[in-house]
Amino acid sequence: MSITAETAKAHAHDPAVLCCRAEAGITIEPANLEDPAIFDDLVDSGLLNLDGCLTIEEVLGAKLTKTCDSLAPLTADVLDGVKAPSVSAPAVEEEVAEEAPVAAAPAAAVPVAAGGVLKIHIGEGKDIDLQIPVGALGGGAAVAEVPAAAAVAADAVAPAATVGEEKIVGTLTRKHFNITEVKRGPETKIEGTVLTIREGIEADVIADQELVKDFKLEIITPELYHTYSETVMDVQPIATKEGDSELGSGVTRVLDGVVMMLTGVDEGGVQIGEFGSSEGYLDENIMWGRPGCPDKGEIFIKGNIVIQEKTNMERRGPMAAHTAFDIITQEIREVMKKLDESLVVDTQELKSIRRPGKKKVVIVKEIMGQGAMHDNFILPVEPVGILGARANVDLGNVPVCVSPLEVLDGCIHALTCIGPASKEMSRHYWREPLVLEALHDEEVDLCGVIFVGSPQINAEKFYVSRRVGHTVEMLDADGAFVTTEGFGNNHIDFASHIEQIGMRGVPTVGMSYCAVQGALVVGNKYMQYMVDNNKSEAGIENEILGNNTLCPEDAVRALAMLKAAMAGEDVKAAEKKWNPNVKSTNVELIEGAYGTKIDLVGNEQELPMSEKRRLKYS
Amino acid sequence: MGNVQMLLRQHVGAPCAAIVKAGDEVKKGTLIATPTGLGANIFSSVYGKVTEVTDDRIIIEPSEEQPDEFVPIDVPEDASKLDMVKAAGVVGLGGAGFPTGIKLNINLAETPMGELDPEINPELPADFKLDCEKGYILINAAECEPGLEHNIRQIEEQCDKVIRGVKYCMEITNADKAIFAIKKKNQKAIKTLQKALESEPAISMHLLPDIYPMGEERAVVRECLGVNLTTMQLPSAAKSVVVNLETAAKIAEAIDEKKPCITKNLTVRGKLNGGNGAHVFMDVPVGTSVGELIERAGGIDGKYGEIVMGGAFTGKSTDFDAPITKTTGGILVTVEFPDLHGANVGLLVCACGGNEDRMREICEKMNGKVVSVARCKQAIENKPGAPLKCLRPGNCPGQVKNNMQFKKDKCEYIIIGNCSDCSNTVMASGPKMGLKVFHQTDHVMRSVGHALYRTLKVSKQVSQDIDF
Repeated sequence: MSITAETAKAHAHDPAVLCCRAEAGITIEPANLEDPAIFDDLVDSGLLNLDGCLTIEEVLGAKLTKTCDSLAPLTADVLDGVKAPSVSAPAVEEEVAEEAPVAAAPAAAVPVAAGGVLKIHIGEGKDIDLQIPVGALGGGAAVAEVPAAAAVAADAVAPAATVGEEKIVGTLTRKHFNITEVKRGPETKIEGTVLTIREGIEADVIADQELVKDFKLEIITPELYHTYSETVMDVQPIATKEGDSELGSGVTRVLDGVVMMLTGVDEGGVQIGEFGSSEGYLDENIMWGRPGCPDKGEIFIKGNIVIQEKTNMERRGPMAAHTAFDIITQEIREVMKKLDESLVVDTQELKSIRRPGKKKVVIVKEIMGQGAMHDNFILPVEPVGILGARANVDLGNVPVCVSPLEVLDGCIHALTCIGPASKEMSRHYWREPLVLEALHDEEVDLCGVIFVGSPQINAEKFYVSRRVGHTVEMLDADGAFVTTEGFGNNHIDFASHIEQIGMRGVPTVGMSYCAVQGALVVGNKYMQYMVDNNKSEAGIENEILGNNTLCPEDAVRALAMLKAAMAGEDVKAAEKKWNPNVKSTNVELIEGAYGTKIDLVGNEQELPMSEKRRLKYS
Repeated sequence: MGNVQMLLRQHVGAPCAAIVKAGDEVKKGTLIATPTGLGANIFSSVYGKVTEVTDDRIIIEPSEEQPDEFVPIDVPEDASKLDMVKAAGVVGLGGAGFPTGIKLNINLAETPMGELDPEINPELPADFKLDCEKGYILINAAECEPGLEHNIRQIEEQCDKVIRGVKYCMEITNADKAIFAIKKKNQKAIKTLQKALESEPAISMHLLPDIYPMGEERAVVRECLGVNLTTMQLPSAAKSVVVNLETAAKIAEAIDEKKPCITKNLTVRGKLNGGNGAHVFMDVPVGTSVGELIERAGGIDGKYGEIVMGGAFTGKSTDFDAPITKTTGGILVTVEFPDLHGANVGLLVCACGGNEDRMREICEKMNGKVVSVARCKQAIENKPGAPLKCLRPGNCPGQVKNNMQFKKDKCEYIIIGNCSDCSNTVMASGPKMGLKVFHQTDHVMRSVGHALYRTLKVSKQVSQDIDF
């Protein structure tokens, strides 16, 4: 359809295509041009070829020298008086179609020369409060003419407000113990850096749960990474609370260099989470270093559980597997509690910092809660433990508010399922990049994290998303993140969460794996700010553990986008089709604006090609 | 001849009220119904006797003898020309039926130029002025509905009367200029006009390309004056009044002969015995039945699809018993409809063709199943339920998005009612997307031997030189 002058301006850098037949001699005006919004579909269906096509800003006002039919791309050979292209304005662009990504970062700042003395330069900043004694300006000279462009800076200068002081509302100390060897022995113990696990503990695991039919424990050292494994159900840190410390506060002891890894099948040999599972050689199916995955070099205490036939896709099967496996972890935890302080190799203090006066943001993390094997245990007594936790499904998937430190202290014991590339393992929360970035970002005030389950039934999805909306409203948040794991069914409530928050006037950045295979099935007008967690080359769920989960680079983009959205800056709409370049452009924009380097993580291309991947995904 | 039926509503506005009753003797020109609101007088078109007065019509049994004499309109000696036009019950005979006495009741010399919307007038300079002192009468001689020929025939045969009517219009409205808008393909009529206008310096011609629509009121203004009006604006916004040429002739008759508006010129054409050439009938008594006119033209040749009253684009289906009115321009008998065997059909409704009801009727007659309805972006509904008006008649706004909708809705066929330019655009993507395209006028075009509306092969611009 023909476009208006306004649309033409918004699409100045998009291809110029005649909407209708136009005769030689006419002057090109917006009414002659087709709306670029539909080009992707046209190109896909072969109706349009944009090779050599000029942009809208280049052709407006030019004279057509040849009669051309509808849908003819305007090229230099049919026009007189083509204008030179301008440099495209750097606006962050949404990354996911129907939604798209990051708004431009930085508000440039304003050198103010009032009497030649005061100079303020704010490289990047939002909501900056400055207190300047008027006398300092030499008799009350006007503080400044702040160019409109720097709206943010203007905000800051205008009302003399008090500088918000950082407030530490909680601390969590992590004491690290290093483990360099794991072996079996008569009792579970830690001596120096050697962890010994009691021989025969397997029987205890099997005896613990009726549904657990068999169990095998393997110690996977780096030399054994090329070992075949059933699907990886979870990766967990080995951590315990010290003394009376509660989860999310006090002291947590954690073992470095080793992780718990739960794998499993049912008695019939069917993978738990078959139809999207990560079985195969470990080194071909694990994306090293993802927040939820093992790091290369770590030792895996890998338990393979066999559960009762056909309970692999029922809720009780995986629950039994996780519960039984925790017997081993708990036995290690008990040993850890008694370790001598002298073995501590590193102490890390995590602070929950509130920043009154800064833009208040909240993180909403959608977790799976459809039942079957999709569930999460929330808030166990021990980090990523079982005891004391409530199953998300049993809680009715309703929002549960937690502190950022509770998240980082393992308040989620994840029962992940089908689609390993985009699911968040327990370890993911322990190292949750968005929580860490937001917590450390001095420009925002992270008030907390809300976990909300993703129920199976649509009516329940909207039930919980309305709770999310009201919760965020009560928080008086200035901005929100909504993250999800997986794709497809959960995108319905993901979209609804964003809508419920967005309709309350709170800009909301959505984060999900989308790309090609996970393209959103639903959308709404509040989904204007989207960050795609995809890392895979082809934009697909390729069953590589953790491949498409939220990483630091995604968190950085989401923060930049939310800041832009909260500052009222434009975030360009996403392209209709997934285009990985949008992400790299956004990363460059952010690097330019902040003067930092964002290290991008790799993807499955770095791994040896598995037979399954070769057959199914290439 | 059979009974004559005078509909009480033959114009824009409220139905008239009958002032005769069953048994009354009437003559040609006897006033039989008068307006109750916006409207125009209705006169008997024949000698005869009123047999019945119903809610919507007066039925007259004609006498054997039908002399040419008529009862002149009843106006005082000193009646103004405008009063005579009003009294004679003249309405817009091009099809719209707006009461002419009301349309001409304007002093163009004192009518200010309306505000022109820059969005649809991008090329107009800021200091644009019309090339006239007072105002224009624009004579619509486009005869745009394909297949009709009675308008052009009237120029060829009654050019003087038409010009007299135009001059009366200029006098009544204080216009200082007049322009005939006529398609360049009508060479004989143009030559006739050219000769007649040699002695009329205030009256000129503007030649139109042979595309649809050119006769839409605002298209006439745009073509003649270069000004695009919004769908809410009347031609008076461009200091103009648009008058159909047949209406102009009726104005001349009302003033010169005190003749009431009781006859109509029309074209009967289509699947008729003796071929599909045009049968032009001049001065047919209003109220004559469709069936009688078809018989006069030779009768229907075998099986037929439908009978259309009016033009192929804007006309409606009718039947043998229906009477013609002051606004009837055509009676078109069509070939049979193709059978789509219940296939999925999308309708592209626009202001140029039939409304959605008419499109659905055609689809039903083709045995298609409507699964998707789109509306041309430029078809504006000024008020809810009002007839659609095109924002820029004859200049397409793009149609590919509609085709995408049809494709998505799984249409196999689409039926479009678009103008030449929009039809061309539909064809640029529809068939490539696998949509089979019908135009709502196809069955009429096949019946009158006119090319189907698909791709546009002629320019929308013609030179104004009379170079033939």
